[in-house]
Amino acid sequence: MNLNRRIDIAPLELGRVDRWARRIHPLVTMIVSLAILTTVIAATAGGYWLTIFTASFAIALATSGTGLLYGRLGLVSLCQFALVGIGGWITLRIYYEFHPPFLISILAGGVGASTIGMLWGLPALRMRGLHLALATLMLAGAFQVVITNWSFPNGGDSFLGYMGDKPRVDMDRPWLATSDVAYFVYVSIILAAGLAVLEWHRHAKPGRAWALISKSEPMAIASGVNIVFYKAWAFALAGFLAGIGGGLLAGCYGGLDGGAFAAADSILLFAVSVIGGIADWQGALLAALLFRVPPAFLNGLGVNGNFATLLFGAGLIHALMTAPNGISGQLHDAVARFRARRGKTVPQ
Amino acid sequence: MIRIDNLSVRFGGVRPLDGLSADLTASIVGLIGPNGAGKTTLLNVFSGFVRPQTGEITMNGVAITRLSPARRVALGLRRIFQQEMVVDELTLRENVEAIADHVVADPSARRAEVDRALAFVGLSGRSDRPGRTLALFERRMVEIAKTLIGQPKVVLMDEPGAGLNEAEAQQLRTVLLGIPDTFGAQLVLIDHDADLIAAVCTETLVLDFGKRLALGPTRLALDDPAVRRAYLGSA
Repeated sequence: MNLNRRIDIAPLELGRVDRWARRIHPLVTMIVSLAILTTVIAATAGGYWLTIFTASFAIALATSGTGLLYGRLGLVSLCQFALVGIGGWITLRIYYEFHPPFLISILAGGVGASTIGMLWGLPALRMRGLHLALATLMLAGAFQVVITNWSFPNGGDSFLGYMGDKPRVDMDRPWLATSDVAYFVYVSIILAAGLAVLEWHRHAKPGRAWALISKSEPMAIASGVNIVFYKAWAFALAGFLAGIGGGLLAGCYGGLDGGAFAAADSILLFAVSVIGGIADWQGALLAALLFRVPPAFLNGLGVNGNFATLLFGAGLIHALMTAPNGISGQLHDAVARFRARRGKTVPQ
Repeated sequence: MIRIDNLSVRFGGVRPLDGLSADLTASIVGLIGPNGAGKTTLLNVFSGFVRPQTGEITMNGVAITRLSPARRVALGLRRIFQQEMVVDELTLRENVEAIADHVVADPSARRAEVDRALAFVGLSGRSDRPGRTLALFERRMVEIAKTLIGQPKVVLMDEPGAGLNEAEAQQLRTVLLGIPDTFGAQLVLIDHDADLIAAVCTETLVLDFGKRLALGPTRLALDDPAVRRAYLGSA
């Protein structure tokens, strides 16, 4: 059977179009959309609201990790916000100890959160579903206990870097982004880089391996995929992104507050990730905005911000029942319907 | 060359495989038997998903029952599952690349191997379509292409012809018949379609209740009175 001759010409031509359509185009769209959104927010929001949006963009790194684990692999990780806290703690500790450039501090936070998440997650990665959810929730619980006792470093000399109730020595922002607006742009650029790394993974060897694992573990094993390695890789990457997010949060506020990292917040972060949408970067960003903006808005109205948790509960039930791809999925569907309708009417 | 030696599997009181021995020497071997005969269990023992209580399988002289599933894949064992496993989110090409990533050691050789496998099953012009847009026959062909990557030695196929129409089944036969010569792999084929088995398998192993009912040239095996009794209830 001589089929080899009619192989290559068509796929090579199509390959170029395909690479643009499937890999580069979504990446360019993401970067341009984020740039526009960043410009609009930086131009219009000020003071309190700019801080809220900066924090949301930092947390979007963590929700994008949840999207990777749950959306790509079906793994329910309830420790993503604890990993934000762990990343923040390490970033602050490294900063106060060595005063390295800001980027080095947050990268250290990312690597540290990734390592701790991995060490905890490795035994748990053989689990699935409820068991993995419980194991990761325990990490969130453990972090809550530890951080309540230790507090976040605030410039002290001891190992913990905490100097009691003395006024905090604020962490410096990067030298080229000291103002609120510049720092917001800085966070947005780091977010874009993080989302681009995830987008690259989607179309590379790890993304393909995750797709096989998600389809069927026996099939993935029979295809030569080392499923523990690729699950651990996903866990490490999600932890890294969450840790970077923690470092950026610390830079946003100048430090962090131990009371803000309760285990319940990790559950809440997972819930908003499902509501926002776990399939793409838009969902991750929507989730992070949901996590921060409604409580701030309610606070502004004089209503307890925790009331937002009730809304998230209702939103989660709605998402689970009617919108498996979250708000982002619904927006995509709406755009597709609009295009289809316009496509039908144009020729007439 | 596959040697199955005194293979037994027990699940509680059930014995899906019961002292099975067989030397499979033909380049395309049929594996048939009534429902519950132990065919899929045998494939699961090959893949390493089920550990036998006794016995051994030897693949080209290498005993495999104590090896990890990954090691078996590295030795050239490939498999198609009964349920088709094309990933909807990946393109046709990416579905095949996902295997090449792990079974072709040299990254620069992967592209050529994927091209060759896709061309062999007749899908090379359509490789950029998303998995979700593929029809059943194309999905079956993607599944076959996946098994042809990375120098396969033994390819196990669990009902690759299920749900295909006559024209498609004819194309499937042509593809299957070409695999041993083009890729140097031995094929073990489970199917309920006796026409397909008769058309492509030179040798057939018939199982019933986990035991060997017949083994030999396909026509003789299918005409064996014991085989007819097992399928039809009488001679």
